[in-house]
Amino acid sequence: MAAAKTRASSFSRHLSTAAPSLGPGLKCGPNGTVLLSSGIPDLDKILGGGFPLGSLVMVMEDAEAPHHMLLLRNFMAQGLVHSQPLLYASPARDPRGFLGTLPSPAASKDDKSRGPEPDQEKGLRIAWQYKKYFGENQLNFDGQRDGKHEYSNEFNLRNPLERHFINGQRVDCVSIQDSPDLSILQDRCTTFLSQLPRNDGSISCAGRIAIQSFCSPQCVYSNMEWEMLSFIRSLKNMVRSSNSVAIITFPPSLLSPSFCKRWQHMADTLLSVKAIQDDDKELAQLLTGYQDMIGFLNVHKVARINTQVPLILEATTFSIKLQKRRYLVLECLNQAPVDGSSGNSDGTSGSCSSSSKTGNLDF
Amino acid sequence: MAKSICIALREGALEGELAPTLTIKDSIASPFGLQVFDHVLSQLFSSILAGKSPSQGLILVSFSRSPSFYLELLKNKGINVASSDKRIHILDCYNDPLGWKDQIVEISSTVTVFREVKHMDKLFNSIIELGRGLVGGGKIRFSIAIDSVDEMLRRASVSSVARLLSNLRSHEQISSIFWLLHSDLHKARVTAVLEYLSSMVASLEPSHQLANGQRGDLENFALIEHNSKKGKFHVRFKKRNGRVHVMSEEVHMEQSGINFTPLTSEGAINQGLVPKVQFNLQLSEKERIDKANVVLPFEHQGDNGKPLQIYDGRRSLVDSKHERAVAVENVQTKEESESESESDRQRGEIIYYRDSDDEMPDSDEDPDDDLDI
Repeated sequence: MAAAKTRASSFSRHLSTAAPSLGPGLKCGPNGTVLLSSGIPDLDKILGGGFPLGSLVMVMEDAEAPHHMLLLRNFMAQGLVHSQPLLYASPARDPRGFLGTLPSPAASKDDKSRGPEPDQEKGLRIAWQYKKYFGENQLNFDGQRDGKHEYSNEFNLRNPLERHFINGQRVDCVSIQDSPDLSILQDRCTTFLSQLPRNDGSISCAGRIAIQSFCSPQCVYSNMEWEMLSFIRSLKNMVRSSNSVAIITFPPSLLSPSFCKRWQHMADTLLSVKAIQDDDKELAQLLTGYQDMIGFLNVHKVARINTQVPLILEATTFSIKLQKRRYLVLECLNQAPVDGSSGNSDGTSGSCSSSSKTGNLDF
Repeated sequence: MAKSICIALREGALEGELAPTLTIKDSIASPFGLQVFDHVLSQLFSSILAGKSPSQGLILVSFSRSPSFYLELLKNKGINVASSDKRIHILDCYNDPLGWKDQIVEISSTVTVFREVKHMDKLFNSIIELGRGLVGGGKIRFSIAIDSVDEMLRRASVSSVARLLSNLRSHEQISSIFWLLHSDLHKARVTAVLEYLSSMVASLEPSHQLANGQRGDLENFALIEHNSKKGKFHVRFKKRNGRVHVMSEEVHMEQSGINFTPLTSEGAINQGLVPKVQFNLQLSEKERIDKANVVLPFEHQGDNGKPLQIYDGRRSLVDSKHERAVAVENVQTKEESESESESDRQRGEIIYYRDSDDEMPDSDEDPDDDLDI
């Protein structure tokens, strides 16, 4: 038995002798992929490290809240901080103006206190009767690695990104409002991605493409559904064979249901943001920290490149909060303590298993 | 709440922000849209005249009603249009929208006829021009009211109308915009587009839903009659912090106009989103401190410099009555101790029967026996 275990399997992975050297802001991920950060450390953690190069991320907007802009801002700012070339397309007349709203990286780590979460693991105390035989050799569960600071930054949404990050870069902005069809955008994407071809070996820099509100109604092409779909497909193919990540946000309520589904299937990583109703007493009873939440983020699909094994998350719905009104954090939803004294007959107590209302959120 | 809408429209846009935009949406079941529109219009215009708003003028684009109707309306509300003609201007898209007539009689100086409703960009330019004519150029703002977006959608494509509205919203001289929409006349997507473009959506709904839409049915007749006088008014505000504020009121049609009253019955308005929640496994600060203070069973062993005692079942067990441990690697001692009887041990309070015939086979593994706290 023991012998069989130690024998190597007949399939052995052919690994190149040296790990590829990666540029700033990139790290190796599972299954031979290279990851780049989304700009939100919590989201990176949820997705297993970040966005893999070559993947297409789609974000379904909520017409009632601008949270997708927060995701986009962090994504773009992270790219600029790491000097990664950026292509930004939006239906506004002057997309460059949006660059002025990008956040700057947080000053230092001790500027914000993330709560006791990292420390809890370190001081794990075990009541073990044989501890006295082993002296001081306690196992240290060190979950915190400071090397990550380079890969992903916390962004302070109150401070604008310094000008030098934007000016010295290869930052390209496209306005998609007036173009009668998608050929202009297609051309810009093609030229952008041709600078970032993928070949075996080191990756010096990776690029980012951000397309905001793709099927926004004021765009001329917005009723050309098949054209939009084939644009997404060709973008996905181009991105797959280059060292870049593309993120597209779109409002699903403005698409016909069948096209909405098709677009969702196109995505490698699919996220959606949802607005929260203000003064919702039932939600306030159900969840802790309801007052600080500004929205919900749902993770529908996580990119799995080079593998067939899906990533099954413990939780797919997270609350978006602004810590100290500056830092975007994503938290798991926690049930508020149930008040045993309130015997409500209409069942408004926070019981998560027996809810008769079917919510829009993911279960 | 109708009042909050009017306040929001009155306050207008902050610097660098899109103008607050209201969609008034009604349907055949609750057809008070025009009356609500009139109400909001008169409220906004009175605030503009009273100087309560940063907006200095109002442009009314009238598609579905004649401009003279509006002039009458404002007069009836006690607003003297003649003296205030520097503050309101009506773009008449009602009398001759497609330019069929050769001549149009000028109604008044506050009305301009517009003849090319198929061309949204020309409409945009006219609106801006009129607005500038009213308030001057520069940074002074004005508000816009569009009588009915349905008429615009009849003649132009959804995307061009959407472009017009979003350009108006982002124009720096526009303080606030509102329009009326009859939702039955359009596909759901069109309503979704207009809601997407607005920051406030006010929808009128019947207080009692008709059973199956059969209007001839006697039972439904009473309901229809009821619905023709009363309804529910729901407003969804998109707030700046990203949250959605939902409010509701009852609306009554009366001779004098329209009345808004707070909801009488507590209807379940919000469809609660019940997400899958987990239990909170994290500790608060106080809980952490308490946890740190608990002394765990074996923690003190070896701390005070006492020699570690390995119990091996023999009498060499020293005076410490708390210590009893079995060496992990020493299987023999275990077997030895199994054969020992408890009477050999004189010290120590724990009486340990290491009997293999014990009915609880795990008793020697029972950790509670070991606990020394």
